[in-house]
Amino acid sequence: MTAPIELTPTAVEAGPESVIQGLSAKVIEGRSLGQIAWMRLRRDKVAMAGGIVVLLLCLVAIFGPLLVGSPTVYHSGLIDPTFSRPKGPWGGISLAHPLGVEPITGRDMLARVVTGAKWSLLIAFLATVLAVGIGVVMGIISGYLGGWVDSVIARSMDVFLAFPLLVFAIALVGVIPTTAHFGPIHASGLTLRVGLLIFIIGFFAWPYMGRIIRGQTLSLREREFVDAARSLGARTPYILFREILPNLVGPILVYSTLLIPTNILFEAALSYLGVGIQPPTPTWGGMLSDAVANQWYSIDPMAMLVPGVAIFLIVIAFNLFGDGLRDALDPKSR
Amino acid sequence: MKMPKILGIGTATAVGALILAACSSSSSTGTTPTNAPAYNSGLTTVINASNAKTSGTLTFEDFGAPDSTDPGDTYYAAQWNFIRLYETSLMTYASVPGPGGLNLVPGIATGPGTVSTDGLTWTYHIKPGLKFSNGMPITAADVKYAVERTFAKDVLPGGPSYFQILLAPQTPAYKGPYKDKTPGHMGLKAITVPDANTIEFHLAKPFADFNYVVAIPQTAPVPPSVDLATATGGAKYALNPISTGPYMVQSYTPNKQLTLVDNPNWVPQMDPAAKQLVAKVILKMNVNAATVDSDLISGAAQMDYAGGGVQTAARAQILSSNALKAKADDPVNGFIDFMYINTKIAPLNNVHCRMAVEYAANKVDTQTAYGGPVAGGAIATTSMPPNVIGYLSSDTYSFNAHPTGDLTAAKAQLTACGHPNGFAVNLGYRNDSPKQTAAAQAINAALTKVGITATLKGFPSATYYTTYAGNTAYTHSHDIGLAMGGWGADFPTAFGWYDQIAAGNAIVPAGNSNISELNDPVVNGLISRIEAPGLTQAQRNAMAHQIDIQVMKDAAFMPEVYAKSLLYRNPALTNVYVQAYYGMYNYAVLGLK
Repeated sequence: MTAPIELTPTAVEAGPESVIQGLSAKVIEGRSLGQIAWMRLRRDKVAMAGGIVVLLLCLVAIFGPLLVGSPTVYHSGLIDPTFSRPKGPWGGISLAHPLGVEPITGRDMLARVVTGAKWSLLIAFLATVLAVGIGVVMGIISGYLGGWVDSVIARSMDVFLAFPLLVFAIALVGVIPTTAHFGPIHASGLTLRVGLLIFIIGFFAWPYMGRIIRGQTLSLREREFVDAARSLGARTPYILFREILPNLVGPILVYSTLLIPTNILFEAALSYLGVGIQPPTPTWGGMLSDAVANQWYSIDPMAMLVPGVAIFLIVIAFNLFGDGLRDALDPKSR
Repeated sequence: MKMPKILGIGTATAVGALILAACSSSSSTGTTPTNAPAYNSGLTTVINASNAKTSGTLTFEDFGAPDSTDPGDTYYAAQWNFIRLYETSLMTYASVPGPGGLNLVPGIATGPGTVSTDGLTWTYHIKPGLKFSNGMPITAADVKYAVERTFAKDVLPGGPSYFQILLAPQTPAYKGPYKDKTPGHMGLKAITVPDANTIEFHLAKPFADFNYVVAIPQTAPVPPSVDLATATGGAKYALNPISTGPYMVQSYTPNKQLTLVDNPNWVPQMDPAAKQLVAKVILKMNVNAATVDSDLISGAAQMDYAGGGVQTAARAQILSSNALKAKADDPVNGFIDFMYINTKIAPLNNVHCRMAVEYAANKVDTQTAYGGPVAGGAIATTSMPPNVIGYLSSDTYSFNAHPTGDLTAAKAQLTACGHPNGFAVNLGYRNDSPKQTAAAQAINAALTKVGITATLKGFPSATYYTTYAGNTAYTHSHDIGLAMGGWGADFPTAFGWYDQIAAGNAIVPAGNSNISELNDPVVNGLISRIEAPGLTQAQRNAMAHQIDIQVMKDAAFMPEVYAKSLLYRNPALTNVYVQAYYGMYNYAVLGLK
């Protein structure tokens, strides 16, 4: 990645006179790439707003479940016995239940949406980490080594991208056993399902990251500092991970940020289709599915609004923040 | 019978229920000056009575799929109702509203069976001149063959096991016609066919209610030549069953659609309780439950196949509109929704662990999950519904005193069973049923309070009893210690209620209804003696109550609600009324305006 010319110390050195003048006026500090990006990001109000929302929702997902009530406890007393809808307007909003309660069951909507945030974000984050991990390693190897290695990896990326992922995910999640053993690790129930969801979502998203990294590596490997390292006798792994990788931090950060909302939506879609996390554990997709499939929206629109707005907020916030981050790290791509 | 949605049906003498329902309807509607159908009038009168035949298409929709379209392999109440459109058993139920709908009338038999003086032989005569839809004549041998098939549990696991239990045993045990080496595959000695129109059932011991048993779809004749052919028989017979009812199968794509058309060889005398009034009947399967309701109300479909009542959204819509409410009925349908508690899977094989579940569950939450008092039903405290003969109120675990659960008692039982901090178990339920899904979560939430972790396992309705909860190998290998269920009596006596769900000899590897695997000598003894000759009704009633009490003490079932279902009758339908035996509209007589 090229740094913006006008701001680098090298650029300043280009004009000795100005250097002298500048030194006498005030001390010129070299700013790192990170500082520059941060400065640009701070100026981007929309991205900052997105970032703050993301931060807040992450805090909610981490600490919220500890603060709200149980998402699974039924409150039959708050449900109209004839119609099975919450008593009172707006889905039974009250001090004890600020977002109202779920129809039929009377479960607290705030607790469900906050606990749902935990699972939705956990799955999306870990799946992203997995996708980025595989994608970066494969992309960097493919781009740097070229030749038949590149052909194999690039073609396998094409295969993954052409895969009917949703159909495959539905089939795979549908046959999850009750317990599974991976060597010394025994997983069952919720843990197993979460693990499998992370695997499916992450494993099939790596080619997106892989292609971008491969492209960047292709151009980086021709650069002088790589040649220099090579001629000094550095071994391939050293070049890959000590010379090239640090220069890829920008795109990795940006596309990770943009991959997370995609994964959140994918998890929601799987839950909506009934193959995600199983009840009673709430997820946003599952809550939305309950509200839509049972036509709760006709008796209690809040049941659909709450998870719907939550998904909308997190996805748009991540996207705005990701766009801002990209602009900040790489203004030329704007 | 198993209930597809949540409710069951019962055979049971829904008499009490219907009378209650009738009372409530008259009190709520007051005196209606005209004959316009009103709320609950389908419980007592036939709405739009008509014998007019139309060229229309009658459309059923189902949120799931039938357990089987084979008359020998089905146990879902809705399918027993629906199958009368294309199959006729020896006896059947009178097509009249009210308590009369529990009375038997002849199907393909000329009349009720005659029993020998020793009570061991029941003789039926088949109406002469009847034909299958493919033109072959119907003979007594076809009925015998149909019953023989039900012994082949490896091929047809789904239906009840009454014939295996009641007919005189032979050695070696009869394994069904597919493994039968005798000429004509007629090796079942307990049924004899003296002539083409006479069939005799030889019982192991007297059984007073045998006419009810031959009213089960399993006696609908099956032609051996079709069933023994590899391409069309055995498990594949369900794909194109030969019809003996007013309609016949034109095409069937499992899990998608079943299309019936008029059976040209059907004559009204074949089943006077059925009618052939439309040109085509379509059953659409796996339709979203809420979509079924909106289709019923809009007229895109005329009948909800499952008969378990409308979903939440449609209920609000119907009950808040006078026009729609007048087209609805809310019968107590004779089913109990309950949870099976397995008596063999650790740690539930300890009765105290099972009792802990009984005490800990929150009955109000469960009732709310089923839809509250109108759509769900009253909280059940017994293992037998009030409309089965011999019912006596009891409350073994004080559900009425502790409707939200008795956590202290639950913890005491947990300590007694050696798991003071609770235990882990899996809870099976039908995940295409919104009511059962909500109820399973209610139980999960309540059990958590005493440390019992009930992990929810959702299964599809169509294979719930054959592959999952009703498959003992599956339940044991997957630790399905708890399973949601619903039951309606196969016939309105304590035997008809309990035999398949509580008797030890009813446990079968697949298609199991005794999911609790209850095998209590006391219960077994009472069930086997209750139909003995010479008992007075009072003695039978006392025994029925004893069974109830013992089953509850065994904690093999956790009763949830005495089910009600809010049914919607599309105004385009003719001859609509609630059949007491099924607790849902009688499908066999429906027509279109």
